[in-house]
Amino acid sequence: MDSPGPAIEAEHLSKFYGQVLGLNDLSLTVSMGEVRGLLGQNGSGKSTLLKSLLGLIHPSSGWVRVLGVDVQKAPMEVRRLVGYVPESPRLYEFLTATEYLDFIADVRGLGYEEKKERITRLIESLDLEGKQGETITGYSQGMKQKVAIMGAILHHPKILLMDEPLNGLDPKSARVVKELIHSLTRDGVTTVFSTHVLEIAEAICDRLTILQNGRVLAEGTAQELREKAGLSNSGLEDVFLKLTGTKGVEDIVEALRR
Amino acid sequence: MRIRVLFEFAKILMLSRLRNTRQSFLSNSITNRPILIALIGSIMFAAGVGFGTATVSFLRGAGASPADIGQIVETIFGGIPIFLIGFFFTMGLLWELNASSESESSDSINWLPISPSEYIFASTVSTSYTYSPLVLVTVGYSLPIGILTGNTSAFLVLVVASVVAAFIGSVTVEILRSLLARASTAFNKVGGRLMIILRILGMILILLFAQTLFSGFLIIRIINSVSSANAATVLVPLLWPTLSITSILRSNLLSSAYFLLLSLGFLAVLASAALALRAKFWVATPPSFHFSNTGTISSVSRLRKIGVSVISLALVRREIRSATRRKEVVRLMAIPIILPVMISFPALFSPAPTTSAASGLISPLFLAVPLLFGVGLGTLFLGMTSIGQEGKRLWNLSSLPIEAGTIVTSKILFTSLISTIGLVLGLGLTVFFFQVSIVDTMTFVAVGITLVLAEASLGVAIGSRYPDFSDGPRPRFVTIIGSIIGAFLGVIVMLLMSLPLLILLLARVFLLLPFSLQLSFFLGGMLGLIFARISYSLSIRSVDGILRELPN
Repeated sequence: MDSPGPAIEAEHLSKFYGQVLGLNDLSLTVSMGEVRGLLGQNGSGKSTLLKSLLGLIHPSSGWVRVLGVDVQKAPMEVRRLVGYVPESPRLYEFLTATEYLDFIADVRGLGYEEKKERITRLIESLDLEGKQGETITGYSQGMKQKVAIMGAILHHPKILLMDEPLNGLDPKSARVVKELIHSLTRDGVTTVFSTHVLEIAEAICDRLTILQNGRVLAEGTAQELREKAGLSNSGLEDVFLKLTGTKGVEDIVEALRR
Repeated sequence: MRIRVLFEFAKILMLSRLRNTRQSFLSNSITNRPILIALIGSIMFAAGVGFGTATVSFLRGAGASPADIGQIVETIFGGIPIFLIGFFFTMGLLWELNASSESESSDSINWLPISPSEYIFASTVSTSYTYSPLVLVTVGYSLPIGILTGNTSAFLVLVVASVVAAFIGSVTVEILRSLLARASTAFNKVGGRLMIILRILGMILILLFAQTLFSGFLIIRIINSVSSANAATVLVPLLWPTLSITSILRSNLLSSAYFLLLSLGFLAVLASAALALRAKFWVATPPSFHFSNTGTISSVSRLRKIGVSVISLALVRREIRSATRRKEVVRLMAIPIILPVMISFPALFSPAPTTSAASGLISPLFLAVPLLFGVGLGTLFLGMTSIGQEGKRLWNLSSLPIEAGTIVTSKILFTSLISTIGLVLGLGLTVFFFQVSIVDTMTFVAVGITLVLAEASLGVAIGSRYPDFSDGPRPRFVTIIGSIIGAFLGVIVMLLMSLPLLILLLARVFLLLPFSLQLSFFLGGMLGLIFARISYSLSIRSVDGILRELPN
């Protein structure tokens, strides 16, 4: 283990977007080598939290430490340690996949031989062979997602932050990414990712954090969340809907049908 | 074709233009109303009437003979349709070229039940109506001229010819748009780098053509050709609206009607061609370039040996690749190259300076001043847009371990690199036309480089202080306020840099002190470097702020 403390610590994080509260006094601790899933409805604060962990946005109050490094005080140090995949990543679309990854590798300080080997292997693993010499403009959403994931893991990060990483991926690539997360975990990489696909969250994550209105609503393993919701034998979807207080799904469906 | 759908769609297309260009100045409630254009048109029509009346009064007051007035009326009336065709075509084309590459796909309308013919006519109506104030000002201007010079019937023909000319220009853009989309898709697949170079050259030529058109030289030459009864002009369809007017001015009613009908026929042919092409190339494919099957991984650069960091090199390489492939950025890159050429036009076509004793102070190097002004202005505009160009892709930089200083350096380096092409072009023109000495050439290069650095740094400072990251269909990259402040400061910096020149000149004239052009340029260059350093520090502060708080 590289560091004796937790991989990520966030304390009393709040973030205001004008009058809108994105994060509301949120605290979170993620252990080393853990896979943490962030669940929550749209606008619950998942993306804001992930951006705060990397220092892409400045919290209105509170602090974050990544591997013991204060994100606000030493953002460069944190960015060296972390790989990040945003929700619907906007890449440099007029570069080819190889050029994009080459750029990331140069900035990350990979030598020529290392970057060549890594880029070639990643392109092969995620089925982009034959397309890597074309500009990203012509790629499908799933192919762009693959390039973003490759960019995030190119430098062997110690922490991986991913916002809806499986969006748009075909079943095979989604499986590859899931296996990749497992494999990285074995190597001691800590992963935090948000998702709306509850089956995947349950299958991959060691622990889950449910966010609502910028706060942590519930936290624990899938089984702990079931117990908390009083639904020991139900699927995670029912647990999620009960904990977040989502009611009247049938009424909404009926209104949409009309 | 459903007329209601056509006009509704034309309204949507026009609103998108209005809001993209005027949202910052006027509230949404005003820009929501297409009537705004009619209102502007009415005001311009009234202004045109005023100017037209003033023109006739001036001509009569100056004692121009009826023959002279007749010649002038022919030039004005005949020139209007040519000008309108060129204007509508150029504005439509520039509008197309300004569109962001991401917004090129027609997917957003493909799912709607709109036919190609409805699209073509709606787009043409939209372009024509958006720029209709220009038709109204020209019609307003020619109204008093027509009435007061006894050419009322010619004026009436002019009104019809102007509307036809405006539509010819708009429809031609539609044809070009379809052809370009098809050609781009085909060439990009096989062309790669060659296509990129051709596109940059094409863009520069289009912008130069637009500038030439508005200079008026071209129109006067064409009118002279028409007036001199050159038989070949009859064969040029674009001149038919003009010929309908010149015919009636010579009291040849039959010929006028004939050319007017031919113009309408030409418009109909163009419209059918536009329709056929649009129907054929309805689905636009994403503008993807194909370079190789495997992709290229950059090797270790030799520039590292002279201290350029790997990150800086990677950033500049990315800038060049990305910028040369994005058409909305290519037009910006063309500015520092075009401006010096355009500004040097008057200098180049003026008589060469003499070397008499009275003009002992005058050196050909003086001509470099307006030329450098063009380079400086172009550099400034390119620099101002460099940060906003990152758009929603900014997270790439924010999430990587890149210091603000490295980003600023790469932006300045890229801007300076492009502007240096304009500088070299300007230098080439100066050396070629005025045979300047080696010392003067070196002085020109030195002061030019400092000017480029000063304006590039200032541009990046303004661009990072007032960035516009919105990725709309017509991205601006810098806010309107930023553009105004930037343009103002840019000119101030250039004036301050030329201050030593002015002071030494005054000292020579009034105090009879010895004058050294080289010294004044050297001092100006030193000032430029100081401005560059200040702007650099300001840029770092702004970029650091952007990296710490990703725009929402």
